[in-house]
Amino acid sequence: MVTEYGIKFTVNLINNHFGNLVAKVCENLLRRGPLTLQLIVRYTELTPQQVKNSLLILIQHNCVQAFSYEQDGGLEDGPKSNTQYMALFNNILHRMRFSKFLEIMSREFDDKCKELLEGLLQHGRLTLKQMVERAKDLAERAKSRKKEGICENLVQESLVKLFTARYVERCPASEPVLAARNKEDTPAKKRGPKSARTAEESQTLEQRVLAAAAPMEAQRFSAITNNESAVGRETSMDDSPGMRVGAKRKYDASELHIEPAAEEEVILWRANFEEFIRCLRHKACIENVRERLDDGAATVLRAMLEATRSLENKVKTEKSVPLSLNNIFEEVMKSEEGRGMTLDLVRASLVQLGCSPSARGTDESYKIDLKKIIELAQNDEVESIVLKRYGRDAYRMFRLLSKNGRLVETDKIANTTFVEKKDAPKILYKLWKDEYLHMEKLVVAGARQSQFLLWKVNKPCLWKHVLDEMFHAALNLSQRVAYEREKEKEFLNLPVDKQVMSQEERLNRLKSVRIVLESSLLKLDDALMLFHDFEESSLLKLDDAIMLSHDL
Amino acid sequence: MSRLQGPSPLKRKRPDSNTPSGSLTEHERLLYDLIRSKQDMAIWTRDMKRETNLPDNVVTKSLKSLQTKKLIKEVVNIQNKGRKHYIATEFEPSMEITGGTWYAEGNLDTEFINFLKKHCVKIIYELKVATLEGILDTIRRSRAFNVEFTTQQVEEIVNALVLDNEIMEVKSNGIGEFDSIPVGRVCYTCTSKGGDTGEPKIGALASIPCGVCPQISLCTPDGIISPKTCVYFTKWLDF
Repeated sequence: MVTEYGIKFTVNLINNHFGNLVAKVCENLLRRGPLTLQLIVRYTELTPQQVKNSLLILIQHNCVQAFSYEQDGGLEDGPKSNTQYMALFNNILHRMRFSKFLEIMSREFDDKCKELLEGLLQHGRLTLKQMVERAKDLAERAKSRKKEGICENLVQESLVKLFTARYVERCPASEPVLAARNKEDTPAKKRGPKSARTAEESQTLEQRVLAAAAPMEAQRFSAITNNESAVGRETSMDDSPGMRVGAKRKYDASELHIEPAAEEEVILWRANFEEFIRCLRHKACIENVRERLDDGAATVLRAMLEATRSLENKVKTEKSVPLSLNNIFEEVMKSEEGRGMTLDLVRASLVQLGCSPSARGTDESYKIDLKKIIELAQNDEVESIVLKRYGRDAYRMFRLLSKNGRLVETDKIANTTFVEKKDAPKILYKLWKDEYLHMEKLVVAGARQSQFLLWKVNKPCLWKHVLDEMFHAALNLSQRVAYEREKEKEFLNLPVDKQVMSQEERLNRLKSVRIVLESSLLKLDDALMLFHDFEESSLLKLDDAIMLSHDL
Repeated sequence: MSRLQGPSPLKRKRPDSNTPSGSLTEHERLLYDLIRSKQDMAIWTRDMKRETNLPDNVVTKSLKSLQTKKLIKEVVNIQNKGRKHYIATEFEPSMEITGGTWYAEGNLDTEFINFLKKHCVKIIYELKVATLEGILDTIRRSRAFNVEFTTQQVEEIVNALVLDNEIMEVKSNGIGEFDSIPVGRVCYTCTSKGGDTGEPKIGALASIPCGVCPQISLCTPDGIISPKTCVYFTKWLDF
């Protein structure tokens, strides 16, 4: 879901990281959907060179993906002119999560791996050679006397570890070709002024493009390259229309027949955000269970998720991979906190987690509804806003409607929640005005009370609204950080005798202010992920269905 | 507590209530019969006037007289507190008029409700897991109230507590804490493990000023209300 404040926030991120020119290009792409170079130049009123440089930066940092449409036969006016650039909203958003990704890294791997990832996050994408050079640089700076050869080995060793854990992947094709689509879906339409529509459409388009650009699964996490496999991929890809991946990488055509060592240099690698998000999603589920149930349940869930991580086929998987009780118990025993648990305790925790065994042969197997856990966490977040903003009566009413999921009449709500009958409509109205509730009027002819008001929580709408409020709040936090920094600079530039507080005092204050703001932003981002990254949006699914019917 | 008694036992007295009404004027009788015919539903003065076609002053005078003779009484209709409603003394106003058990004189009896809620939480906390019947039984044995509660009344209270997120519904699995409760039966348990029913955990958005800001819709990066000029931020970051 891309909301108005979502765009504002991501543009602000890009502005902070790469400056206002890049941000301008990025904003146009986010608001208008995919554009050609010429159109970007026209909309941004920047010079072609500035736009080109901005795009290069954005592509280097995986924030933009280029693609083109397959030309209809005969009308070849050069594929270059038709290249479209598309901003990748999610990848831009991930830029504020780098500290979280690095934390995962240092928890699971050694410093070498962390350094490697740091390099990839800092530079967006790197070749093996660049990674080795970076490691050498770092080693030199640390004045370690490691020989170059060792350095290279170390990098390769770390890289293999990261490939196995799927934290690093091969970059997607630089410009995949999409099969031409129906007339109404031509790019001309995408550039229409209705930003809401374009955002929705480009999301499904985004999926198509990303799927077309993605390297084959076998190559995605493997450093082994040779001529044969590369050529093989080339031909196999050509067979399927719209997926000509290999040919599009600039270097490929010219360097395919050069020795393997040379090719390694041109293969670009990057951090696999998807895997990090999966990891954070698991973590969020485990922590939520720990809070709601107990440590035992959290331990069991963690063991299950860790054991089946490589088997999950997508990030936003709804249910964990089924596992037998014996397997679960074995996994639980592997962790320190699980060692004290008995089989009975594990079984009790599984029941707590709400999964009943499905008999498969003689073995009982369990799977956990992760979607449900995410949903509960989302509910908690929204309910806590209602409580803080509108008070306890509103909280009770909101929870009633949220649990009920259908229209309920005003008096019925008042009765069930023990709210004074004359107060209930006022509270409900306030919630409705702020888009937290949906209201319908029911007019009954003939009866004495001819009009009833019915209320309900419309989750898809409300979730989108809350997400937008979160982006707004995140934008505010980051702008306040910038403002505090600015103020500090001004203060430091004042002559010493005019400074009211001592420098030390001021710096301490700034430090606490920044800690509060930045930690709040990190926490808010956890909630953002809950609503934006952890759950398949139902809106998207619907869109997919429409597209499917179009394509067929 | 009279409001907890049903109207039925009083209804039966009707046939021998003729004696005090013997000395009524024609208008009074007309009105009295009308009011009595409405039974426990009571009637609004405006409706009386319309149905009897009597002039205002006559109605007012007769009602006063009937009241002093203790034949009728005024009741508050919670649907419309401004409208005067009358009911014959032998009836207790219906649930629709009074609002039911939880209302006293037309107002929600919050004090009584909250007391009962607290009591229920205490019982559930002590029992760890409790069924509805278990809670009702404990209330009856505790004798903290001089009224009898029905299962439905306790259920209403318990449901409100679930909405308050102070307790939660769980299904018995027959093991551990549930060993005395049949499998599959709905039980209640306290949400917070410590038993103290504090506020629920504050979410990420609700814990920063923007999450509860009444002006958030007016706040823009360079507007009059902006994160730079925000008073809530300044207050929050005042170290």
